[in-house]
Amino acid sequence: MSKQFNINELQLKYLELETLLDITNELNSFENVSVLLQEILIKSCAVLNASSGMILMQHNNSDLFQIEAEFNIDVEALKGVIFNKKRGFFNEVYQNRKAIHVQISADPFLSKTNCTYGLIAPLLDKKELVGVIVLFDKESRAGISSFDESDTNMLSAIATQAGVAYNNIKLIESIKEAKTFNDNVMQSIVTGVFTTNLMGEINHVNRAAVSIINLEREMVIGNHYEYVFESNEIINELISKCEIELQTLSETQIQIDCNGKSTSVNISVSPLLNDNNEPIGSVVAMEDLSNLDKLKSTFKKYVSKQIVDQLLENDEMLNLGGQEQEATILFSDIRGFTSMSETMPPNEVVETLNDYFNLMIEIIFKYNGTLDKIIGDALMVIYGAPISTEKDTENAVLTAIEMQERLIEFNQQRIIHSKLPITIGIGINRGKVISGNIGSRQQMNFTVIGDSVNLASRLCSAAKSDEIIVSEAVWKLVKNNKAFKGRKLNPIKVKGKAKPIEIKEILYQRPSFNYEVAYNMIETFLINQLPKEYTYHTIHHIRDVVIQSERIAKKEKINKEDIADLKLAAWLHDVGYIWEPSRHEARGAEYATTVLNAMDFPAQKINKITGMILATKIPQSPKNILEQIICDADLDYLGREGYAENSILLLHELRLKKEVSELEWLKIQDSFLSKHSYFTKTSNTTRNKLKAEVLASIKNKLKK
Amino acid sequence: MSGFIKSTKEANQIVIIETDGYLNNEGGEAISAICYDKMKSGQNKFLINMAGTKVVNSIGVSILIEIIEKLQEVDGKIGYYNLAPIVSKTFNIMGLTKYSTVFATEEEAVSAL
Repeated sequence: MSKQFNINELQLKYLELETLLDITNELNSFENVSVLLQEILIKSCAVLNASSGMILMQHNNSDLFQIEAEFNIDVEALKGVIFNKKRGFFNEVYQNRKAIHVQISADPFLSKTNCTYGLIAPLLDKKELVGVIVLFDKESRAGISSFDESDTNMLSAIATQAGVAYNNIKLIESIKEAKTFNDNVMQSIVTGVFTTNLMGEINHVNRAAVSIINLEREMVIGNHYEYVFESNEIINELISKCEIELQTLSETQIQIDCNGKSTSVNISVSPLLNDNNEPIGSVVAMEDLSNLDKLKSTFKKYVSKQIVDQLLENDEMLNLGGQEQEATILFSDIRGFTSMSETMPPNEVVETLNDYFNLMIEIIFKYNGTLDKIIGDALMVIYGAPISTEKDTENAVLTAIEMQERLIEFNQQRIIHSKLPITIGIGINRGKVISGNIGSRQQMNFTVIGDSVNLASRLCSAAKSDEIIVSEAVWKLVKNNKAFKGRKLNPIKVKGKAKPIEIKEILYQRPSFNYEVAYNMIETFLINQLPKEYTYHTIHHIRDVVIQSERIAKKEKINKEDIADLKLAAWLHDVGYIWEPSRHEARGAEYATTVLNAMDFPAQKINKITGMILATKIPQSPKNILEQIICDADLDYLGREGYAENSILLLHELRLKKEVSELEWLKIQDSFLSKHSYFTKTSNTTRNKLKAEVLASIKNKLKK
Repeated sequence: MSGFIKSTKEANQIVIIETDGYLNNEGGEAISAICYDKMKSGQNKFLINMAGTKVVNSIGVSILIEIIEKLQEVDGKIGYYNLAPIVSKTFNIMGLTKYSTVFATEEEAVSAL
């Protein structure tokens, strides 16, 4: 090649400087974070001759990073890889806030990219690490090579600029978001609101105020309030007085006449103050009294939106005066909640009840029930008042069934999170009730009273955990519907009734155990709960054991049902680390028993699962082929590529408990590997060779 | 044809190569493979449509320079069109435009080469 054509160092430096200048100049032109990051990544790759790269940003203030920009990488290969800022090379960047150039194969997470060399630079928000730029494999005509100090300095400079731009965009975004939020709040509230400046000109008005004033927004903004409210002396005097006295003033039920429309409103005027408490105008709020919103806001807490809308469309249907009518009444009650709540901290009691009520009330409204009252942990629901339909009783029974079914899922989540399950009993009756606004002058509520209500409450008391008990009156109305199945129970004697009452239990299907749902629930629980300081016993290890268990089981020709159970045990085998690392197998087996029972896992198979978990205790003691497989899967890494990385992670975890020198660690590994044997034919065939090499290498190091 | 080479065609005895993606070592080698192959059968004029290439690194540029050198031995030429501003700037800084030409359109390039 002739000399004139060589790309020289000067040109490359010139290109680097131009790129840095470009980035600096363009930084403020981006309004969107993802466009900015993509642009910075592409320019970084180009100027540093990287084959590919990605930018990872912190996800929701957690320790986890997620890919926000990528260039020329195989994204598929990174699916499922969890990037944690405190793991691997990221931890080094996180600790020192400095760029590093590394060999990727030594990092268990980045090595999934199939690249060889990496250059990682921190993106900082002030001094906090919010993300990283990662470039892979420096290109040359001879192939790929590692990055050097000069590349590290260049990427550091780019990352510093990028960090500044990122923070600016974030700031602008948050200001815009706050403004949009305030505007939306203003536009969404049903109270009319407008503000005036010191000159008395209206400078902000929301949708509700425009409707009350009955003028186009453009006719209101910029005009003096006395012009807008020309013939409304009360308002003008109120605003004027507020401007002088700097106090909140209000008037109720006044009439506003604007542009030919008359509206009854409650109005309040307050001084608008700046940060230094100096007046900068007034803010006026007008509550429109001419529509049924007041009724709506009162009712929507107790009845479904559909019923509120029906009432508003046709108020003749509404009878709030006392009258006798037929209605169906449902009572539900949490069994043993008082004694259960004594074992819980007060905030957890409130949280549990709120979660439970939110779920139940959603179901009640779905079937158009009217929530009459919440009495402690009990619910009273009416079907047929204030609006009755032919489906009232069916709706009540459907509500009860869905409440019990959804409670099963609710409890599965609670048990997975080591919380006590909730069980409820439900009673339903239909009959004559007196409905209407009942109470004192100070407080009146729409409700129903009468013998039929009392009987519904008694049926609820008679119902055991998970039961739905209905009266004959209810059963007669729903028995022809094939969706409902009933079982006759012994008549019960209730207070105030001479004869025993005939009752039926409504039967419902408990959902059968679903392996995939269970795997997902346990995985989510592990991700959230496993101690974050652990470097080896992490979700990655557990996922690996699940994968290896399935792989070995298939080679060993294990049937599908046993493989599903094996995977369940693999997901649960290290869960005990959450509470008791020293006896995690036993603690995991206890947890598995509780959780699997609650999830309706066949009782006769629970011992099979706990047996597999307990078999992993070192020294391993498998008693059957499934236990042998999980034991081999748990220690699969001893005989495969990546032993060194796993060994480092394990050493770091061990050092959380005690000091372990390099020599001691070599001796521990030597002893463990020398004693260890795989149990399955598959593992013996595929893993022994590499395991022997690892052991030989350790012994060699010990000799030295 | 590699993923980087989107298409090749001929017009007025000029080979027109359309690219798509990162002009790096891999991209550069994909271009040079086509050029050297066509040169064996006597062709010596090449045009590269870079509409799909928004990023280029110095290794990609150095391969283009190698192609220019080989072409000079057979009195050939190479040109480019549809360049993104950042690609155009890199070509300038790397000195590529001293030995080859950047055109605005295919028509202009075909008539000039």
